[in-house]
This record gives sequence, C-alpha cells and structure tokens, in this order.
Amino acid sequence: MTDTELAVPRPRRTTGGTAFWIGVAFLVLLAAAVVFPALFTRIDPNAADLLSTLRPPSAAHWLGTDQNGRDIFARIVYGARPSLVIGLGATVLALAGGIVLGTAAAQLGRAGDQVISRVLDVLLSVPGLLLVFLVVAVLGIGSANATIGLALVGLPGFARVVRAEVIRVRGAHYVEAALGLGWRRFTVIVRHLVPNAVGPIFALATVGLGSMIVASSSLSFVGLGPQPPTAEWGAMLSGSRDYLVLAWWPAVFPGLAITLAVLAFTVAGQHLQRRIDRRSR
Amino acid sequence: MRVPAIACVVLALTALVSSCAPGQAGSADHGPPRPGGTLRLAIQKEPECLDPHQSPTEAAGTLARPIVDSLVSQDATGGIHPWLAIGWTISPDQLTYTFALRQGVRFSDGTPFDSAAVVANLEHVVAPATKSLLAANLIAAFSSAAAIDPLTVEVRLSRRASSLLGALATPYLGMESPRTLGGSASDLCTRIVGTGPFISDGGYAQQSGINYRRNPDYAWPPYGAGHDGPARLDGITVQVAPDNAARFGALSSGQVDAITAISPVNARVLKSTPGFVLYSKQMPGSNYSYWPNTERGPLSDPLVRKAFRSGVDWAQIVRNVYFGVYEPAHGVLSPTTPGYDASLEAGTAYDPAEAARLLDQAGWTGRDAEGYRTKNGQRLTLRHMWSDAGITDVAVQVQAAARQLGIQTVEENLDGGTYVDRILKGDYELTDTNFSAPGPEVLQVLYASANIPNPERGLNNNMARYDNPAVDADFDQAMQTTDQAARLAHYDDAQRQLTEDAAVFPLYTTVDTVAARDGVQDVEFDAGALPGFYDTWLAS
Amino acid sequence: MAGVLTVPAPRDRRAGRLARLLGTRIAASVVVLWAAVTAVFFLLRLMPGNTVDVLLARSQVSPQVRAQVIAAYRLDGSVGTQYLAYLGRVLTGDLGESYVLREPVATAIGQQLPDSLALLAATMVITVVASVVLAILGASRRPWVRSSFTAVESLASSVPPFWLGLLLLTVFSFTLHWFPAIGSGGLPGLVLPSIALAASAVAVVTRVLREGLLHALEEPFVVTARARGTGELAVRFRHVLRHALLPVTTILGWMAGSLIGGAVIVEIVFSRAGIGRLTLSAVQNRDMPVVTGVVLLAAVIFVVVNILVDVLNWIVDPRTRG
Repeated sequence: MTDTELAVPRPRRTTGGTAFWIGVAFLVLLAAAVVFPALFTRIDPNAADLLSTLRPPSAAHWLGTDQNGRDIFARIVYGARPSLVIGLGATVLALAGGIVLGTAAAQLGRAGDQVISRVLDVLLSVPGLLLVFLVVAVLGIGSANATIGLALVGLPGFARVVRAEVIRVRGAHYVEAALGLGWRRFTVIVRHLVPNAVGPIFALATVGLGSMIVASSSLSFVGLGPQPPTAEWGAMLSGSRDYLVLAWWPAVFPGLAITLAVLAFTVAGQHLQRRIDRRSR
Repeated sequence: MRVPAIACVVLALTALVSSCAPGQAGSADHGPPRPGGTLRLAIQKEPECLDPHQSPTEAAGTLARPIVDSLVSQDATGGIHPWLAIGWTISPDQLTYTFALRQGVRFSDGTPFDSAAVVANLEHVVAPATKSLLAANLIAAFSSAAAIDPLTVEVRLSRRASSLLGALATPYLGMESPRTLGGSASDLCTRIVGTGPFISDGGYAQQSGINYRRNPDYAWPPYGAGHDGPARLDGITVQVAPDNAARFGALSSGQVDAITAISPVNARVLKSTPGFVLYSKQMPGSNYSYWPNTERGPLSDPLVRKAFRSGVDWAQIVRNVYFGVYEPAHGVLSPTTPGYDASLEAGTAYDPAEAARLLDQAGWTGRDAEGYRTKNGQRLTLRHMWSDAGITDVAVQVQAAARQLGIQTVEENLDGGTYVDRILKGDYELTDTNFSAPGPEVLQVLYASANIPNPERGLNNNMARYDNPAVDADFDQAMQTTDQAARLAHYDDAQRQLTEDAAVFPLYTTVDTVAARDGVQDVEFDAGALPGFYDTWLAS
Repeated sequence: MAGVLTVPAPRDRRAGRLARLLGTRIAASVVVLWAAVTAVFFLLRLMPGNTVDVLLARSQVSPQVRAQVIAAYRLDGSVGTQYLAYLGRVLTGDLGESYVLREPVATAIGQQLPDSLALLAATMVITVVASVVLAILGASRRPWVRSSFTAVESLASSVPPFWLGLLLLTVFSFTLHWFPAIGSGGLPGLVLPSIALAASAVAVVTRVLREGLLHALEEPFVVTARARGTGELAVRFRHVLRHALLPVTTILGWMAGSLIGGAVIVEIVFSRAGIGRLTLSAVQNRDMPVVTGVVLLAAVIFVVVNILVDVLNWIVDPRTRG
C-alpha cells in the first residue's frame, strides 16, 4: 500500500487535462486548509457541545456533528494539517534520504553501490505497514515516530529512481563537458546531476504522497498516529465506528476527505509523470 | 413500557445470585426451561492467557468460569456459601482454615477432586513459575496447605486475612485438575481442566475463541443456582470480536445469540429494537474513575484535587457519553459493593464556584495567554495517561470541562510498556481505570501505602499513590477480624477519609452486560459480576 | 508456447539457466534476510531500557523467568555471543517467547497464519479474476470508455481500504445481513474483507493489463487472427491476454508486499483472527519478540514471493532469459 517504488502505469496518450486542473485546484484548497484553517470556518474543531451530539448535516453544521457534538466540517478542515503533515513529512524525509543514498549509490563505485543496494533491499523486504509497526514498536506511539517509519518505507523507491536518473544523466553531454572542463566531481553532482533528476522524482513523490496519506490515516485509524482530541481524518473515522448504528455522517465525510486528497495527489502526479515522459522522449 | 437496565440492577441487589432480564414489554413467556442447543457468544476482550491462576483479567475469569469451580461461592451481599467445600472452620487465632470437601466430585479428565488437588492448586497459584499477577495477591497471607485426609484440607496463613474466603470464591483461585498443573505455563494458557459444568476440549485459541461442551457428570452447582445437574446448554461457542460495532452487528444480524460488553450507544439502540434482551449487573468494587497522583505534582495538593472533583460535572459527562446506560458514580466504592456508604455521596456535588475558590486558595491565581491558571509562572497542567482508548470520549469532555476551570489536561494514549514504566515511576498526574472485586477489601488493594507501584516493588494497584497511615490502620484492623459488621465499620471509615481527601474522581459504575436475542434465557452474574451460563437455556 | 517467439533452447540448457537464476536470487535473498535479522538484533539492543526488559515487554515476572531469558539470549555474554545466540535461535526457527501471551512466538504466529493466508489467497483470486475481466471489457479505443475506466480506477486506488471495509460492513453486514459481521470462519466471512483489500490492487492491475491489451491489439498477429475470422473475444482471450500479462507479472511482487501490509488493517476492521491483530496488540504492548517475529516472517514470505515472481517472469517472458 505504501510502496512508492511502483511508478503507477500511465496511459500512453495524454487525456484528462481537466482532471489535472481540478486536482490542482483541490490541492490548493487543501494547502490553504493546512496553513489557514480559520479561513474556512469560524467553528472551533474541539468545541464539544453536549447538547447537540450526532446531529445530521444542517445549515448550522454543514456535515453534522460527532458523538461529542463537535462540528465535523470544522474538524475535517482543521484535520487537514495533522492528516497531511505525516504523509508530507514522511515524503520529504524519504526524498532527502533517497537523494543522498541514490546519488551515493550511483557515484561511489561498485562496492558502495552494492552495499547501499543491499540496505535498500532489506528495507524493501519488510512489507510497508509492518516496517512502520516495527519502528513504532521500537520508538513508541506518536506522530513523529509514524513519520519516521513511513519515511523508511518510501526511501528505497526514491533512492532507486535517483540512482537510475543520476546514472542516466551522467552520460549526458553537458556533464561530460563539465567534467572535461575540470570541474570538481561534487560540484558537478550538485550543479547538474541532481537538478536534472529532480523532475521525475518530483512526479513520483506526488503520486507517492497519495499512498503515504492512506498509510498514515490507516495508522491513525488503529490508534498509532496523532492522539485525540487532535482532529485527524483516520482517527475521526475510528471514533465514528461505535456510532455507525445511529449516524452515518461521522463515518462518511472524513473518509471522503482522505479519498479526495489521495485522488488529487495521484491525478496530479500522474499528469506530471506523463509530461516528463513526453519531454524526455 | 420497557424496564430500564438500571432498575433491573437495583432489583438484582436483593437477589442472592442475581439474574435479571429486562425484556421487551409483552415478550413471550417461554415456558419452563428446556435443555439443549448451543449458545453462540461474542466477547469483547480476550485474555492473554486462559488460566485464571496466571491471568488477572476479567476476560480470563469469564472464560474460565464455565470450566472451573471454586471451594466456596459468594453472594451479592458478601455472604459466603459452600461449593466444592461443604463446610469450614476457622481456628481461634484465625490463622488456620479447615475445609471439608464435597464427596464424589471429579475433574473432567477423571481425576478425583480431593484434598491433594486443593493443595496442588493453592501451591500452583503461589508458585513463582506461575507468574501470577493477581491470584497470588489474593492470598498474599497464604503460608501453607496440607491434606489432613482425602476430604479435609487445612490452609495456614502467615497473618490474619479475613479476605481469604472471598478470594477463594473468585475464578482466579478456581480448582484445576492437578494432572494439568504440572505442565508448562503456556499449555495451561490455552487449555485448562476443571470440575465445572462445561468442558473445553480444544481450549482457547488467541483471537478466535473457545468452544465448550456440557459436562454430563456435573452435579455440584454453587449455592443459589437455578437448577441441579448438568448445564442446560449442549455447548457454548465463543468468538472474540473487539470492535463494538462489529460485535453488535453480529448480534443484530443473528450471527451470534449473545454478546458481552455492549457499548452504551448500542445498548440504547437495542432497547428500541424488538426481539432482544439486555442482561446487566453493576459491578462491585471500585467505580470507573480518574485517579490523581496524590504523591507529587499539582494533584498532591488536596485543595486542587477537591477543586477538580467539584469543578467538573462528572455526572453530566457520564450521562452524555453513555446515554444513561451507565450510572454516574459518587463514591469510592461502587454502590453494589457490600459495605458501600451512600451517605458520603452528598459531599461530592458539582460546584464550579467552589472549585474556583479552592484553586485560588491553593495559589493558582495567575492566568496565562491561553486562559489557563498559573502559579509562579507555571501553568496548571495535568497529564492524563489513558489505560484504555475506550476513555476517548470521556477524556474529550473532561478536557473541555477542565479548560473552563483554567486547568489544561494533556491526553496521553501510551503503549503498554511505557504506561507501566510511568506508573512505576509515578510520572503522571491522572490515569483512569476501574477495578472490580466482590468486596470492600478492594480498598486495601487500591489505597494501602504498601501497594503504591514503584520500580522495586513492581506493578501494583495504588495508582493514586495514596499514603495515609490512618487508612492503612483501618485496612489492617479489618483484616484482623472475621466479624462482618466490625470489618465493614473499618472500611466505612476508610471510605470517609478517602472521600474527604478526594483520593479518587469517580466517573460511573461499571456495568457488566450480556445482550442477547429474545430466546436466550437465564443468564446469571456471580458476585464479581462475571456472567455465567450454567442456568442459561435457549427458548428458540 | 513461448517458442512461438523464440527458438526453443535445448531442455538441459534451459534448466541450467533457470537453476543459475534461482541460485543467484536465493543467494541474494539469504544475504538480505541475514541483514534483516542483524538489523532486528541491533534494534532490540538500541531500545531504551534493559534488553531483558525489552524482551519481557516489561511484564512482571519472577526472577527465575528473568534468569531464563538472560540465559536463553546469552544476555550476560559479550555482544558477539549474544548476536551468535540470536542468529542461532532464528535459524532454528525459534523466534523467542512472548511474555505477554505466555507462549512461544512461533506458536502464536502459527496459530494466526492460516487465517491471514486464507485472506491473502482470496484477495489474490479476486484480484486476478476481476482485473482480467475488467481489463478485457475496458480495452476499448473509444475515448469515453477509456476515460470512465481510468476515472473509476483512480478512484478505487485512492479509497483507503479500512474505510471501504467500514462501508462494506455497514451496508452488507450490519444492514442487509448478507455476510457475517465478525469472525474468520468459512467462505462467507472472506468475501467482504478480501474485496476491501483487493479494491486498490484490482485498480492498479487492471490499468496495467488494459494498457498491455491495447498495445497487443495493435500487433500484427492479432490482425492475422482477425483476418482468419476469429471472434473478437476469442482473439482477446487466446492471443492478446498472454502478451498483456507480461507487465503484470513484474508488479506481482509489489502487490504481495502491499497486500500483506493492507491485510493487517483489514483484519482489524473485520474483527478477523490473523497476524494483523496479533501484530497490532504486540505493538501496543511493545511485545518485541512478537513484533520482530512477524516482521522477519513477513520478510521471508516477501522474499520467497519475489523469487517465485522472477521464476514466473522467466517462464512467461522469453526476453528475460538472456
């Protein structure tokens, strides 16, 4: 579920430019909710109103209220930050680690490549969520440790792509030219190799973010993510389970939020991948 | 008119072995009990280990009870009755108990139940290899046991312990076949053999459950049972389903006949659904409570504790979260515990003005930017370690109420290891749990200074870290006497002091529930409120 | 069959190549698994607190039991001794004892494994059948068909499996009573969890397969078959599907990992017995012997599956035979 290694297969002909822009628009809204949640609602997401618990959607509460009388719309808006920040943080960490290890594997010669590749194999040999479970068991329950665990899951995929890209770009004329001009190896890596490999990796990261968000919400759902009363989408779903017999809305809207966020990242990422593919052909 | 669950519980108090079925109005009269059929039961919590000598959990007690009988049984008022022991005498110094055993009792593996078996069981409970968490504490005063003749056994104590008989009545000191006790601890965790009304051939499988079949030779039910002879059911199949919604779904869809631990919201739904009954019993022992760390931190100040108790509307929170299925609690003990002092309830009413006054008096007069009270620049912050994620909704509401008082609670849902670690170190301000036990002796378990958990002593149950020599003296004196009235007087004094000191913030009285389809008849609860199925029968 | 495209190699030479492929893959996998065991060993040592306490999951035990653990893991010896002892135990299949569950980890896992494997098998079957059918239906040149399939696939791969499970349970079990709400017994109990788990895998595989099909439909041999008057469905099933399967085999390994991870969550949602609930409660209790046992077992399964996938690739795709 969390393997970012898989470059999700792409249709050969570009369609769905509209889908891309809808996705981007949704991501912009999400980003706004992450940074300025107060723009979207005046309601305090943690304000428990004991007199209006489990109210269905209405003009006062657009998406209804939960078992503690908290406004679900406000909780989804304020929940964007804790829900997305683990996935984002894990992706950034995984990217950083992937770039370092991938570049090193490509540049350190055969022995270095072998060692790094085996390390990556070990990480890859443990199925995604179980690796996170292991990390959480070692470091303890909490958002930070979940982020570290997810980063380790994503790292090998990035490292491999970076390694392949660096090797590909290394053969390019301008790099050979730079080396021929007597530039230092390190400078060449930083000035030329890395920036040229960034495009494909950025696209991969965008698609990977989707699966990272699913994984992080799964962790919250089973209680290994941010702790209540933090409004987090997976945790909201988990809290809604007992009340499903009385109310569907607390179990439906946070799930929709996760699905749409993942969908937006996937659509945008795939579009970027296609664009890069076409350019590199 | 539906009879609400709580009314049923009040009725149950007067019964010796309580059993009640607040059915739907006009629910059919099912006629006389008839034998046969298999009860399909889904339970919430699974024991890590089936052997009640090893595992202290309610789940282990519930699943072991059909298999193991006890020497004596206890009724809801604390009275002790014969069971596998038909009588007993206590020596004048109260250090020697001599039990006369029932004749003709056999374990289901054919081993006769005799004095040697009793000795083997008690020694198994206290053996270090058993790693007993609870059972050994129940008979901490145990010194030795000896078989006088095949049907007479003598138990010697190192000090007076009037709680012995009550402890012997629990499944945690139930009688298992001595032939199995010699095996490995982990074998006993899956399969136990007893003299009880049911037999489990396959034993308990983690996460899937356990199957029982009727013991055809059973002829020694406890005092107060509804019938004689073998159990009425052919068998019971038990599945484990921790998720409340799924368990309820399994009941409402007819996948199972009965479920334990129905969640309050589902209980509310159940009451308005025809064709189902709710059996329930308020558990004796301590209420589900928040426990303050009285040893250090802001809550070591009795003024702050009293302020927290009167400044949070605990009863309203319970009514909101639990839909009236759980009764708000007001005492140190649950109202169904023998010796409960109801007169102390008045002192714990909700009074936010008084709470504010007490906090001012305690010196928490400053306010920071977020509106929390401060003292010497320090914010009044209480870290609440959860014992169970089920406390989420209550915690959210208590947090909101505390904020009104200017107190910040930090909610911490920790892994088991860290939780235990911090309990041992006393590194918390609040935690929460309940502790069910049949009698007021539970107060000693929860508040005796000798039971404060620490790294040297290990895990123990005085999580309030309460240390009061006067209360300790009460406990000692109660243990010294077998006179019931005198014992209860000591426990009454302890309740008074604990209430005055605000050593605990009671939330609600835990209710043990079995929700069932209409045809499931006569589910009973024992003195510890564990459900039993010996009398149970299926009308349809 | 593969000989249609290549000159068939003599049987012994092919077998030799397969043996060599297997040999290198197994050797590499052994190295990876050894590294994983080593990593786990050092993780246990790096955890805060005494290693004995870590192994005991801080459960309260008698001094004798403590001494047994110290002796069993050679915790009184040097790091090297401890490491060799640990390696030896793992090699002999001894994953240690869970002091929370009071039973050997291997027993605890062994008890839960059949239920998890049943779920994985059912999911695999659903994935394969559903993807093949959907891909054949969706392999159309008409834009609206393609874009609607793409849209549904994107949606299906974005739905979190635990949420899908929750919705399926509510509708088909709690409300319609078509499927059991709890438990792992029998086929009916497998339906909803395996659908929840399979949904995103089906989306991914269908897309790969569909693109492969579209590609293969342009190949000359299809035109020939059509010209011979073979029916469209027959063309698709008999001729094209085999070619389209090539890219699918390469993502099977990825799928295995993703399904094992996803099964953990789905088992919890559906109150199924299995490795998932065992692992979650072990993480919550920090029962390290169980957690590491499950992780090592999953690594072994994953590595074995990947070797099998390589062999499958070798059989299906002549180009990988060098």
